[in-house]
Amino acid sequence: MARILLADDSETILLLLRTRLEMEGHEVETAADGQEVVDVAHAAATPHDIFLLDAMMPRKSGIDALRELRAEGIDTPCLIVSAHTDGGNGSDHEGLEIAGYISKPIDFDQLFTQVAELTR
Amino acid sequence: MLTGLAVIGVARFLQQRQDFEDATARSYQREIEARTRLAQGRRPAAARAAIIAQQSRRQVLRDEISSETRDTALLVGAGLIAGLTGAALLFTGLIASMRRPLEDLVEASGRLAGGDLEARVQVGGLSETATLGAAFNEMAEELQRRAGERDQLDRMKDEFVLTASHELRSPLTSVQGFAELLLLERDKLDPEQAETVEVILDNTRHLVRLLNDLLDLARSDAGRLTIKPVPTDAANLVEEAVRGMRAQFDARGQQLTLATEPGLPQVEADRDRIRQVMVNLLTNANEYCPESAEIEVKVHRAGADVEVDVIDDGPGIPAEQLEHIFERFSRGDAGETQRVGGTGLGLAISKSLIELHGGTIEAKSALGGGSTFRFRLQAISSPAATEAPTT
Repeated sequence: MARILLADDSETILLLLRTRLEMEGHEVETAADGQEVVDVAHAAATPHDIFLLDAMMPRKSGIDALRELRAEGIDTPCLIVSAHTDGGNGSDHEGLEIAGYISKPIDFDQLFTQVAELTR
Repeated sequence: MLTGLAVIGVARFLQQRQDFEDATARSYQREIEARTRLAQGRRPAAARAAIIAQQSRRQVLRDEISSETRDTALLVGAGLIAGLTGAALLFTGLIASMRRPLEDLVEASGRLAGGDLEARVQVGGLSETATLGAAFNEMAEELQRRAGERDQLDRMKDEFVLTASHELRSPLTSVQGFAELLLLERDKLDPEQAETVEVILDNTRHLVRLLNDLLDLARSDAGRLTIKPVPTDAANLVEEAVRGMRAQFDARGQQLTLATEPGLPQVEADRDRIRQVMVNLLTNANEYCPESAEIEVKVHRAGADVEVDVIDDGPGIPAEQLEHIFERFSRGDAGETQRVGGTGLGLAISKSLIELHGGTIEAKSALGGGSTFRFRLQAISSPAATEAPTT
């Protein structure tokens, strides 16, 4: 059972992921863009166990939100959900300690396995 | 110049000739007058002397004209030779001055034809070759401009396919995700509803495969399909793929066997991509062969390479189809092979992937005689292999 911070700019996908993750027994807080991610992370009474962030969002991307949080010393493991299937662009993700990439459409078995491993 | 002198010489000779004729005529005249005086008995001695004088005068004149004729002939001959030599020199000079620009033009044409669109010639020299050179340069300029336009259109096409593929992923994620959610609640659905959702899910998964394949091909076309090869045990990788597909073969009552040669050298391979090729070949065998078919997978050494064969005893592939089998969207008649899963792109992508690895892929088949799909990957040469055996 993990406390997950989930972010995606699509309401539908947010609903989908939240439903599946909660069915799996996790606790889920959501954000719709990068700024909300930072705000929710700051406002958390207890820190999250894992971030599940969509790479591309308006206002602020998942990557930029992560960069901000990492700069504040927040080392929560993070999975990036991306429509890109070539493993993401290495260069601008350097130093962000991204634990893994989830490609769309989402393989939930793989997602659950990774969440479990990272929140042991 | 000598020719000019010759021309003057001939003119002068003609004048000399005329003078000779005139002088000779006058001399005959005087001789006739002297002979008349002799016949008339007037001062015969003087008359006789005059006759002799005229005769010898005409001899002198003949000698003079003869030597002038010879001189003029020599002069004309020399003039002709000089003229011809001059013309010859002028001619070779002309050829020479044309040869260099023409050679340059031939060389530049060769380079242009070979694909060097920057090929140009220096324009200069005779006006005709200069015009030719300028025309060539203009043509090359136009070719380069059009090639640039085509390249740009190509890039736009590639960008479009890549962008469209990405854009399609999000809605597909939702459709697949929610269809899966519905199926998780299967006990709340009646059998027909459950079946309906399964159909939705199957087709969504087909769409996803198609999208992934299209994306791979678009990247391949744009030269952006990349692999990350690492030293790999090919037998082990193939075994993994076979294991993963076994359930599908069992479901159709097909026999799937694997034979690997021991002690195979390692290959440089991107595991995910070679697995993708294996899944493609095995899926084709699984879906195109009838139930109870036998499919053999062999991994063995072939020269300096490692070869993987997927051999089936299925219906085989007709020759006209075999020729195009690795091309995009080439597949069997829908009548013969009603497949939901295939995209018609799998083999085209497999070929691109194998070739990116520096390997080869081929298919052998005959109608009614089964099919063999084989690919080869270069083995990593080990230090031991390059040691010379001691005799």
